[in-house]
Amino acid sequence: MKSLLALALAACICAPAFAAGDATSGKQKSENCKACHGADGNAPTGPDFPRLAGQHYDYLLKALKDYRSVARKNPIMGAQVGGLSTQDMADLAAYFASQKGALHVIR
Amino acid sequence: MMRTPLVLLLCSLALPALAQGNADAAKGKISMCIGCHGIAMYKTAFPEVYSVPMIAGQSPDYIVKALQAYRSGDRSHPTMRGIARGLSDQDMADVAAYYGGTGKAAQ
Repeated sequence: MKSLLALALAACICAPAFAAGDATSGKQKSENCKACHGADGNAPTGPDFPRLAGQHYDYLLKALKDYRSVARKNPIMGAQVGGLSTQDMADLAAYFASQKGALHVIR
Repeated sequence: MMRTPLVLLLCSLALPALAQGNADAAKGKISMCIGCHGIAMYKTAFPEVYSVPMIAGQSPDYIVKALQAYRSGDRSHPTMRGIARGLSDQDMADVAAYYGGTGKAAQ
């Protein structure tokens, strides 16, 4: 019984410390994204801008965090993430992940 | 009048050195891609766990830009850096033609 309690406690401590993304909030925060990625993230306005619609949530979140930490270097995105909190990033990732788009898996 | 060739020469130098991609030629070059990007919901485990992005249907020029960023070190994922360092500009263009756009090249 004691070990079960310890396990439950350990699971709580290991849980991520911020709320999961909220797509509705993310949509409200996505105004700046539209200029390059298109309204729903599926219609990039330049040939080398990526589609975001339907991409995996955790990948999108990691990309935003990597721009913030400069693990990923891009002048445009580096400037964009400056004003975003981790919660904003999660919300944006949730919004774009929830959109229908052309991205899919092929072998 | 004599200046026209010079102007043309300067114009051609100013053009980006983008190789023209060939989706058919990519078929012999994607063995390193499909092990991760060809499996739905696949997660990378190193250096951290997150979903491998969907790349079929992505903007072709963005795929090239992403591979170039891995090769130059502007993006940090160790596996992708290793793979990108082994690709020529032509390889990158071919892989982008295969996965990019509609992503239907393989079907």
